[in-house]
Amino acid sequence: MSECMQLTLCICRIAAYTCFRTLCCKGPPSPRPEYDLVCIGLTGSGKTSLLSRLCSEATDNIGPTTGFSIKAVPFQNAILNVKELGGADSIKKYWSRYYQGSQGVVFILDSASTDEDLEMARTELHSALQHPQLCTLPFLILANHQDKPAARTTQEIKKYFELEPLARGKSWILEGSSVDNMDAVKQSFTQLIELLEDKDQDTGRI
Amino acid sequence: MSYSCSSRRNSRDRQALRSPQVIILAVADTGVNSSNNINSQASLNANQSPTAAMKVKKGCNSTGVGVPATTEEELLGNTAITPEDVLGLQKITENYLCGPGQNVYSIDFTRFKIRDMETGTVLFEITKPPHTDKAGDKSAIDPNAGRFVRYQFTPAFLRLRQVGATVEFTVGDMPIENFRMIERHYFREKLLKSFDFEFGFCMPSSKNTCEHIYEFPPLSEDVMREMILHPYKTQSDSFYFVDNKLVMHNKADYSYSGGP
Repeated sequence: MSECMQLTLCICRIAAYTCFRTLCCKGPPSPRPEYDLVCIGLTGSGKTSLLSRLCSEATDNIGPTTGFSIKAVPFQNAILNVKELGGADSIKKYWSRYYQGSQGVVFILDSASTDEDLEMARTELHSALQHPQLCTLPFLILANHQDKPAARTTQEIKKYFELEPLARGKSWILEGSSVDNMDAVKQSFTQLIELLEDKDQDTGRI
Repeated sequence: MSYSCSSRRNSRDRQALRSPQVIILAVADTGVNSSNNINSQASLNANQSPTAAMKVKKGCNSTGVGVPATTEEELLGNTAITPEDVLGLQKITENYLCGPGQNVYSIDFTRFKIRDMETGTVLFEITKPPHTDKAGDKSAIDPNAGRFVRYQFTPAFLRLRQVGATVEFTVGDMPIENFRMIERHYFREKLLKSFDFEFGFCMPSSKNTCEHIYEFPPLSEDVMREMILHPYKTQSDSFYFVDNKLVMHNKADYSYSGGP
């Protein structure tokens, strides 16, 4: 009987101690959830610059990405493991090799590009929206380079890219962006995180 | 980043395992905002051991997970070494499990950086200097040069919980279908942590960077004290596989005592 008592007391002590640690924040906080994203867009759209700024890295020596670049981008409520892919023609053809395992897509476009380039961006975005490995995922579309005078507004982009009809039934966010206003960019990503959390709950993964 | 170099040569007897060229670099302390004041130095050869990946199979101590134990002696007898083979290793290897000539995909590691995820402070960064050796010089260089890195950290390093480790590497003309790294860290004969990363597909003639978040394994005060008191008894093996066959094997050791 006394052994049983001892065991019970021991367990109570451990339970009390654990409660104490948790309540008094003595233990480590629970880790933030991580989400795997793929980031695509034409060359020059600003993918590397935006992601580097999000990680508070220097952007002076950025050149075209000639492969993939994976960054862990920390936010308050989550860590986004973003797989950014170069947008040059020689690299674009490999994009779909990296779609497997993605939980969300970030598509970045240059709002101030030529009509020809904008058309190419539209083609690529439509391909991505319809790709079997991406078509059910949340999309964050950033109409970048909003600071340039020639930048089209997000309304114009939404219309030109036919987002309302094409992306119907999918979860997507379209926001303007510029490296000059990183607070707004962070806010856009925070919205994406909410979509990712919703999707996680839907599939009962947490 | 400026650095001063001094090199130390080990005796020829140990050349087979350890590279004789150990360059000590003084790294600028970027931790001014961090109350930890972590000052790290690393001794590096031209190449360095990379530590980051595309898809992490959450690090685990594979000893408990039903993986059959393997020994270095067994593996050296195999024609090809697979990821499952190295996941069974219980301690650091004495020898390299493959020769430098097995790197047929011309994978080259060109940059390495560590930052503290809680403060964002860059703790350490090193870039490989451009290639200067010509074909004729190779005979004079230890074949294992470039496969071994010696790190010197202060004790505060062991208090970090999460670091982001970035590695940059280039790939030769052939595309790589399935690139995977398994890195195992030991203190003496105890496995501290095993990391398993799948980079997946690598485009031909590409330069790729990858950052992964390392969760430090929980270490007791006793183990930490021992690790600090015994520099270079913390060691790691990094194994690289293409299509599940070993193509590269790098090694590193670590001091946490704050000095050489």
